[in-house]
Amino acid sequence: MSPLMRRQAAFGVAYITPGMLIFLIFCIAPIFMTLFYSFTEYNLAQPPEWINLENYEKVFSNSQLRRALFNTVIYVIITVPLQTLLAMFVANFLAEYLNNRYGRFLRSVIFIPTLCSYVAAASVWEVILASKGGLLNEIIGIFGLGPFNWLGEPTSALICVSLVAVWKSVGYFTIIFYAGIMNIDVSVREAALIDGATPRQRFWKLTVPLLKPITYLNVTLGIIWSFQAFDIVYKLTGGGPFGATSTVAYIIYAYAFLDFRIGYASAVAILLLVVILIIHFIQQHFFEGKED
Amino acid sequence: MIRRERRGWRFVVGVILVTFFAFLCIVPLVYMVLVSFAETTTMYIKWDDIRLFDFFNYRYLFENREFGRPILNSLIVVVISVIAVDLISCTMAYGFEKKPIPGKKSIFNLVLATMMIPTQVVFISLYVMMRQWHLLNTYIALVIPLVGAFGVFMMRQFIRSVPNDFIEAAQIDGCSEIRIYTRIVLPMVKPARITLAIFTFNSAWNALLWPLIAATKNEMHTLTVATSSLTSYFATNYGPPMAAATLSFIVPFVLYCLMQKEFVEGIALGGVKG
Repeated sequence: MSPLMRRQAAFGVAYITPGMLIFLIFCIAPIFMTLFYSFTEYNLAQPPEWINLENYEKVFSNSQLRRALFNTVIYVIITVPLQTLLAMFVANFLAEYLNNRYGRFLRSVIFIPTLCSYVAAASVWEVILASKGGLLNEIIGIFGLGPFNWLGEPTSALICVSLVAVWKSVGYFTIIFYAGIMNIDVSVREAALIDGATPRQRFWKLTVPLLKPITYLNVTLGIIWSFQAFDIVYKLTGGGPFGATSTVAYIIYAYAFLDFRIGYASAVAILLLVVILIIHFIQQHFFEGKED
Repeated sequence: MIRRERRGWRFVVGVILVTFFAFLCIVPLVYMVLVSFAETTTMYIKWDDIRLFDFFNYRYLFENREFGRPILNSLIVVVISVIAVDLISCTMAYGFEKKPIPGKKSIFNLVLATMMIPTQVVFISLYVMMRQWHLLNTYIALVIPLVGAFGVFMMRQFIRSVPNDFIEAAQIDGCSEIRIYTRIVLPMVKPARITLAIFTFNSAWNALLWPLIAATKNEMHTLTVATSSLTSYFATNYGPPMAAATLSFIVPFVLYCLMQKEFVEGIALGGVKG
């Protein structure tokens, strides 16, 4: 290495060191600490006590947790495909057929729910879905239906939580898809048009394949975020009724910060990490080696 | 431009469906604002109860539930985190992209990999750490998890587009390292920095889980935490919680109205470049 290069490398180290220290201390070290705690019994009052795999053994016989994992999987299965497909169709329509002022106005409106916090979103949906006097029951009451106890019945509560999450995040994915479609070379689309491709052919044979990297990004983000769903559950249902909407992320919160069972909560968190990694690798394989 | 096709009934149905979809997106928020002006003593909300521009529910929040403090806390956290994230992301991204650091590829991948980690895994031990260092209920604790790999990743994409010739020419002219960074690199990636600031603003303003854990004292609650703890007290009066939700929504909304282009382009760029 020449002295000049060495000087530049020294500058580089100076640039990244403060940030790297923050990452190492507050992000990477805690991951390994949590891994360590997952093999211990720790309640913050006494020092952690090593108990080998006991936490993990308990995890697999915990019916509360099995329920939460089941709920989380259902939540992911509802939210990810729905928000991805809705966003793709809406973005395609806006970009291909409504590329005018009205289309841009609709796009701006669709993005607005993304701005509000899950807490605000859940607060208002709680009122809309209220069994007595809620807006939704009032509306379907006009047609002689209901009233339903949307958040009080186990099945409908989980579906409602998932749909509110879709409502909150679909605008975000629409914007990404929209930009992706606009980024497709106009000449490619024009060529397809001149060759007489029908709108349906253009969508399935042109837009969808060319959007693959963006779909991959949206599905990846969607899965990672949905597996960590906490805010909306915390505010909208608090995990109820009877644990019907408790997600893994919610249960980790309850174990760690309400019961102060740090060791046990760590084991659940590590398992969540493993599940997310496995799904990520399957998905990477599924998308045939497309990586960032 | 794509030439106009014959617009049949499919197009009309499409426009109606997308319009309805946009309508569904906005109705709950309009309802939220309307109810925030309503006084409801029963669970049934009547249109007659809504007294637009009579801010009694808002006054109640500030006078009886000290909402000034959580709003101030949220603002402080937002300001510190926007500055911290900008500073850390830009310097790290510049070092990683433009400097010949040995082994930088694996170090950068290590930073990137943290994006895959569920926040819960980090938060458990971060809480233990903050507790031992007596940093719970401080602004520092509230800001720390907002510094993430995303900013470094995003800024690196943009700093890549700063031509090396510019930097080398400045070096030959005897421009100091600090001046190259602050006078050449940073101004050239200003739009990306604004986008990152908006992202940071939104995630800091809307965060729930970490403030819930790290701010155990009432006077350190952020606006989202204060809003989330409201409803339980008002089983039959939806006015105050809706007013709180409106307050927490209005700030990013106004920002969006003022800087719509930056919002949309930032998300779009994140998708296309990532």
